[in-house]
Amino acid sequence: MATRRAFLAGLASGLSAASLPRVSWAEVGSPAFLAAGKLGDDFVLHGLSAAGDSLFEIGLPARGHAAAAHPSQALAVAFARRPGTFALVLDCLTGVTRHRLTPPEGRQFNGHGAFSMDGSLLMTSEVVAEGSAGRIGLWETAAFTRIAEWDSHGIGPHDIRRLADGRIVVANGGIETDPGDRTKLNVDVMRPNLSLLSPEGALLDQVELEDALHQNSIRHLALLGDGVAFAMQWEGDPFEPVAQLGLWVPGAAPVLCPPPDDQAYAMKGYAGSIAVSSASDLIALTSAPAGVVMLFNGAGQWLATDQRADVSGAAAVGDDLRLTDGQGGVWGYGHAGLMPLSRNATLWDNHLIALA
Amino acid sequence: MLLRPILLSLCCALPICATPALADFEQTVSDHILPGYADFAAATQALSDEAAQNCKAEGLKPGFNAAYDAWLGVQHLRFGPAEADGHSVAIAFWPDPKGSGAKAQRGLLLGDPLQLTPAHFPDQSVAARGLTGLERLLYPAEPLPADPCDLIRATTLDLARIAHQINEAWLNGYAKTVLTAGAAGNTTYQTRPEVRQVMFTQIVAGLEFDKDQRLARPLGTFDKPRPERAEAVASGRSLRNVLLSLQALRAMVVTLTPDAPQTLAGFDRAITQAKSLNDPVFAGVATPGGRLKVEILQQAIAALDITVLAELGPELDVGIGFNAADGD
Repeated sequence: MATRRAFLAGLASGLSAASLPRVSWAEVGSPAFLAAGKLGDDFVLHGLSAAGDSLFEIGLPARGHAAAAHPSQALAVAFARRPGTFALVLDCLTGVTRHRLTPPEGRQFNGHGAFSMDGSLLMTSEVVAEGSAGRIGLWETAAFTRIAEWDSHGIGPHDIRRLADGRIVVANGGIETDPGDRTKLNVDVMRPNLSLLSPEGALLDQVELEDALHQNSIRHLALLGDGVAFAMQWEGDPFEPVAQLGLWVPGAAPVLCPPPDDQAYAMKGYAGSIAVSSASDLIALTSAPAGVVMLFNGAGQWLATDQRADVSGAAAVGDDLRLTDGQGGVWGYGHAGLMPLSRNATLWDNHLIALA
Repeated sequence: MLLRPILLSLCCALPICATPALADFEQTVSDHILPGYADFAAATQALSDEAAQNCKAEGLKPGFNAAYDAWLGVQHLRFGPAEADGHSVAIAFWPDPKGSGAKAQRGLLLGDPLQLTPAHFPDQSVAARGLTGLERLLYPAEPLPADPCDLIRATTLDLARIAHQINEAWLNGYAKTVLTAGAAGNTTYQTRPEVRQVMFTQIVAGLEFDKDQRLARPLGTFDKPRPERAEAVASGRSLRNVLLSLQALRAMVVTLTPDAPQTLAGFDRAITQAKSLNDPVFAGVATPGGRLKVEILQQAIAALDITVLAELGPELDVGIGFNAADGD
């Protein structure tokens, strides 16, 4: 495997160096974020400044879910929504699709991906179509060739994040879905987990929630200190008050962070996106179905709930948090509540992705 | 568009106000939301005043039912001041699948009386408070472990306080926030369609609550009906709550647009169905025949929900939010 991998990488990088110029993010305006959205009947991917201004806009062939940004080159990988049959590697200067990634036979993309720190590797969250067993697909990024895959050690992996030391946290959401649509097949027996993988894909640690919370699907992640903050979507009785936010430092048990009891239903059991601003010690958690965003401190203590229709995307830029909504709004967010920054004709989709 | 507020203000000075020619959310605020919260504030204040005089359960039942009726007039408005500080949850804590309300309330009945003082009662569990908490005290299924008088007074006072706060917040700020949608400096509603979308969302969510909670919970499954899970069984209000909710949602639609005939017809069918259902607490779900009648009401609301999405949404030029409709 190692030989073949090195061979492929060498071959591919040789090709790309000869044929394609490397464009840096600075050359496309130094965007702070990527965001997918809907413009009229079309789907697009934007690069956004920290102030929420669109720096570029690239057409997508279908509705996107999340994106991954190459750490140095102006390349964005746009993932299709589940069940994902493709991902596109987009040149953010020209808008040209450099590569179209197709999962191997019997695999489906699951909406998220992450680059290695040096950008040489792309990791994609995937499922085996039949049964939703989780996989992490590995792609070298010179020619975006598939080189290997790892077990994600759970069902229905969704978000994946790379820790600063190169280890990888996977949110295995636990939900088995019908390969042809998004019908959930195992809600009664689902069992999500958080898995920590070594940079080589070995399972280093894994935690589950207590039995009573086995229907709390762990779906989205944000880096926090030496671990992650995680966001959950409750598949059980909507009137059981359960936490949507948890914190996990590998080696320890996960800590759940419920809001006060009068806020227990404010999110409608659903957290869509999570963002952490380490500099200001804040966590934002959005719920589009409820039209609210919750603010917590870095220890997971609830600070506020704010209303905004269809708010969904969340990301951090330095000291600040940014949110996007389905009306085209980009917002600053923090102790002072929501502050409007910009409004675009594009209706922003689920996620706002910060560039590293 | 510019003419609309002027015409509305003229209209409201005249007795024809009830049959609007130009409905929009301004009218929803003036004819539906503000009067609804004023009624709820007045009804809960009356109940609290009464309880202060005499806390005997029998005497308080009419006032309790009047307050509950008034709540059904605004219960579907899950945005703005009612959601601030979790107020709506504290007013009516249902469904309560874990029975946490009864547990917390028992603690209050047997615990430190200091918890019942106005300074501390608002900090007690939302599950123990509000109309659902009061219902357990006025219609106890079994003898209460202690004299409920002080807790009844504390609960009614707390309800009146919350209702007053919501009403004042609408009158002193939030109504203006809604009515100035799209104006420079309005950061809550950046455009007028945003308000219409919020209003529309309340109607859809209100219907879904009736269908998926108020009716689906007692229906359970055919093999395992759960009549004991109906809302407000003790006070005999289960069906009444569905009926009043449908009537309130219909009234809200009328204020939003004069042009949603299929939606109104769908409401009328469901309301007629509810009125003809002679099963006040859905006890009939335990029998095949009785179950069918509740299912027919549920189906009428399901059909109405589809009509609302197909007709009212386009009429208001809005839909369920892009992300809210289809998350991940």
